[in-house]
Amino acid sequence: MLKTLILKEMRAHLLSFRFLASFVILFVLVVVTATVLTGDYVRKLDEYSARQAAIDRYLRTYAHFNRIQNVLQPTQPPIPFQTLVRGLTADVNVEEFDDDPLPVMFPLIDLTFIVTILMSLVALILTYDAVSGEKEEGTLKLMLGNSLPRSKIVLAKAAGAGLTLVGPLVVSLAAGMLVILLHPRVDWSGVDGAALALIVVGAVLYSGVFALIGILVSSIHRSSASSIMTSLFVWTLLVLVVPNLSPYVASFLSPAPSRIKVAREASRLTDVDRDDLGRKLQAQYRAEVLKEYPVLGEQLTEPELKKRVAEDPLYRKAYEAGRAAVQKAWDEANRIQGAKAGALWEDLRRKEEAQTGLARTISMISPLADFDYLATDLSSTGTRNMAHFGRLSGLWSKSFYDDYRPKKVDELRAKQPTADVWNTAVDMSDAPRFRYVEEGLGGRLQAALPPFAVLAGLAVVLFAGAYVAFIRYDVR
Amino acid sequence: MIGTVARKEIVSNLLSYKFFIVLLLMVLLVATSLFIMHRDFAARMADYQVIRPQPGAPIAVVPPNPLSIFAKGLETAMTRSFEIGVIGVTVRAGQSSGNVIYSFFPAPDFLYVVRVVLSLVALLFGFDQISREREQGTLKLLLSGPVSRARVLAGKWLGNFASLAVPFVLVTLLGTAVLLFDPDVRFSAGQLGRLGLILALSVLYLAFFLSLGMLVSALTRRAATSLIVLLFVWALLVFVLPNLGTLAARRFVSVPSVQALSEERQQTWTREVLLAITGTGDFAERWRTISRENDRMEEDYRLKFERLVRLSRNINRLSPAASLLDAATGIAGTGIDEESRLKTEVVRYKNSIIDEMIANRMAGKREAQYAAFVYRARPLGEVFAAGALFDAAWLLVFNILAFALAYAGFVRYDVR
Repeated sequence: MLKTLILKEMRAHLLSFRFLASFVILFVLVVVTATVLTGDYVRKLDEYSARQAAIDRYLRTYAHFNRIQNVLQPTQPPIPFQTLVRGLTADVNVEEFDDDPLPVMFPLIDLTFIVTILMSLVALILTYDAVSGEKEEGTLKLMLGNSLPRSKIVLAKAAGAGLTLVGPLVVSLAAGMLVILLHPRVDWSGVDGAALALIVVGAVLYSGVFALIGILVSSIHRSSASSIMTSLFVWTLLVLVVPNLSPYVASFLSPAPSRIKVAREASRLTDVDRDDLGRKLQAQYRAEVLKEYPVLGEQLTEPELKKRVAEDPLYRKAYEAGRAAVQKAWDEANRIQGAKAGALWEDLRRKEEAQTGLARTISMISPLADFDYLATDLSSTGTRNMAHFGRLSGLWSKSFYDDYRPKKVDELRAKQPTADVWNTAVDMSDAPRFRYVEEGLGGRLQAALPPFAVLAGLAVVLFAGAYVAFIRYDVR
Repeated sequence: MIGTVARKEIVSNLLSYKFFIVLLLMVLLVATSLFIMHRDFAARMADYQVIRPQPGAPIAVVPPNPLSIFAKGLETAMTRSFEIGVIGVTVRAGQSSGNVIYSFFPAPDFLYVVRVVLSLVALLFGFDQISREREQGTLKLLLSGPVSRARVLAGKWLGNFASLAVPFVLVTLLGTAVLLFDPDVRFSAGQLGRLGLILALSVLYLAFFLSLGMLVSALTRRAATSLIVLLFVWALLVFVLPNLGTLAARRFVSVPSVQALSEERQQTWTREVLLAITGTGDFAERWRTISRENDRMEEDYRLKFERLVRLSRNINRLSPAASLLDAATGIAGTGIDEESRLKTEVVRYKNSIIDEMIANRMAGKREAQYAAFVYRARPLGEVFAAGALFDAAWLLVFNILAFALAYAGFVRYDVR
C-alpha cells in the first residue's frame, strides 16, 4: 500500500510544472557553475606554479636565514574539489595592502550555494501544499475514505518528495562532474569521489528537512495560499537570517577582547613596563652585590675601569658579579612580563575559541549552516582543513628550522668560521619545501558527523511534528 | 478610479495573513539588523580609539563610517591602520577576529535585508495580483465595470506599493531615530542625505520586484505557477547573476592573486635588505628601490583590478541586486571605488613623507614628526558620476520595463 502511495506522489511530482522548472534550473546552474569553477581552478593552478617557480628562483640567489621566514611560507595549493566547493579558501584577505574585495561584496556561487538556496526552495515548492492542496482539491477526503492509516500517507508524502528530489540532483551533478572530469588538468581522486557521495547524502538529507517543513506547515494550514507564506517565512529565517546573525549574537553572548587592544596591551607589557621592572630589579640586585663587594661603589671612568678589571683579580670577580646581577634582573623582567603578555594572548585565544564554538552551535539551528559545515569539511575546504593545514605547517617548520637550518649553518661555519651566517646569501634550493596533502576521509567524516546528526535529528523531529499535525487535520 | 482600486488593494492586504507575516518579517529583520550592526560599529569605534595615531605619527587611519551600519561593504578593509615606514606601507591592526564563522556568511546589514529578504517579500505582494483574481473570479467582475485595464493595473500597483513601502520606510526611519540616541553615531547633514538616498534606492529596488511579480502573474494562469517562476527568477537575479558575473569577468581580465603580490613584496624587500647589508649600495638607495618596486606593483595591480571591477560591474548590471549593492555602498562610502581611492591616497601620503623619513632614519633620528594623513570621502557628485547615477537610472528602467511588460501581458490576458 505504501508503495502505491509513494508512486502516486512521485508521479504527481514528476508530471508537474514545478518539477520541470526545478530540474531545468538545477541542471543549467550545476553545469554552468562546474564549468566556470573548473576554469577558475585551472587558472589558480597556473598561478600557483608560477608563484612556486618565483620562490625557487629566489631560494637559489637571495635566500638568507635572517629573513627566510618571510619568503618561505607554507601556502595552500588549489585542490581539485574547488571545482565544486569553494569553502573558506576564497581569496578574501584583509592582512595585505592589496586586497581583493570582489568576493567580499559578491560571495562566489558553488555547489553549496546551489544546494542550500535552490534545493531547499525546490523542496518547499514541491511540498508546501502537500496536505492543504489535496484538501482544496477534495482528493484528501477520497483518499481517507479508504481504509488508509494517516501515518502511511505522511510517510508516503515525505518519501515521495525525497525520492523525487534525488533524481534532479544526481542527474545535474553527474553532468557537472562530466564537465570537471573531462578537463585534462583536474586530478580528481577516489577519495574525492567518496567525499562527494557523502556530500550528496547530506544534500538529500538537507532537502528532506525542507520537504518535511513543507509537509508540516501544509498540515497546519487550511489553504495552500497561506501555507506557502508560512513556509517561505520559515525558509527565510532558517536560510537567510539565522546563519548570518549567529556570529554577531555569539560575539555579544561570549565576548572576546578586541585583538587591537590585546596587541597594544601586550606590547606595553613587554616594552615600557618591562623597562620599569628591569630597572627596579637591577637596582635591587646591584644593591645586594654592592653589600658583598663594596669596591664596586667606587666611581671609575671607562679606561680606569678597564685597567682595574685587567689588573685586579678581586675587582674582576666583583665586576663580574655585578654584571651577572644586571643580566639576572633583565632576564627576570623579560620572563615576568613575557609571561604576562603570553597570558593575555592565551586568554584572547581561549575566549575567541569559545566564541567561535558558540557561533557554530547557534548557527547549527539552521540546516543551511549544517550543510555548509558538512560540505566544506568533507571537501577539505573548511575549518577542519584550516586546522589540518596548521598541523602540516608546523611539521614543515620543524623540519626546516630544527633540522635543515642548523645543518646548513654548521656547514657554512665549517667553511668560514667568522662569516655572518644570518645575512649571507645561501643556495637553499635543497631546503625541504612545504607539501600539502589532503586529510584522509576518516578525519573529514569525523568533522562532518555533528552537522549530519543535527540534520537527521531535525528530520526526525519534523516528521513527528508533521505526523501529529496531520492526525489532527480536519480533512473536510 | 485608480484610487478606488488602490484603496481596495490596501484594505485587502491589511486584512490578509500575508500582510501579517510580511510585516512581522520586516519589523523583526530591520530592527535586528540595525541593532546588531550598530553593536558591530561600536566595537569598531572602540578599536579606532585604540589605534588612533598620536599627532605626528606617520600612520594613516580613517575613523569608522556610521553609514556602515546600513551598508557594511568594505568597511573592515577601510578601517585598517596603514603604517608608513622607510620601505613603504605596512598594514597593521586589521579589525580581524579569530571567529571564522564570520567568513562563512555575509554580514546581515540593512542592505542585505533589503537586497535579499525584502525583495522576496516584494515578490509576494505582486505574484498573485492577476492570476489569483482570475482564479477567484473577481477579475471578471472588476473588468465588467467601466474601468480600463491600464487603470486596474496602475491601481493594483499603487495599492500594493503603498502597503509595502509605507511600513518599510516607517520601520527604517524608526530604527534610524533610535540609532541617533547613541552619541557615537553622529550623522552629519550630508550623511543623513546619503541615508535618504540609500532608502530611496531601496524603495526603487523593492518596487522593481513588485512590478516583476505583477508581470509574471499577468503571464501565468495560476498563482501557484507564477510563484514558482518568480522564486527561481528571484534566486537568479539576487544570488546567481552577480556572483557568477564576477567569476566570469575573471576569465577575461587576469588579475594576480593577493598571495602572489604579497610574496613578491616579501621577495623584493628581503632581497634589497640583503644587498644593502652585504655592502652594495647604501641603505637609503635600497629603501627607495623597495618603495618604488612596491608602488609599481601596486599600480599595476590597481589598473588590472579596476578593469576587472568595471567589467564585472557591467556584467552584474543584468541583476538589479548588483546595481543596488554597487550604488548603495558607493553612496554610503564603503564601496569598491572608495576603498581603492583610500589606498591611492595612502600611497600618495607615503610618497609625500618617505624621503623625509629616509633622511631622518639615515641621520639616526627615530622620533620625528610628520604631517598628518587627511582623507575626505568622495563627494556625492563624484559617486554619482562614477556609476551610482547610472545604477539608479538603471533600476528605474528595470521598473518601467517590468511595468510596461506587465501592462502588455495584462491587456492580452484572458480573464475567464
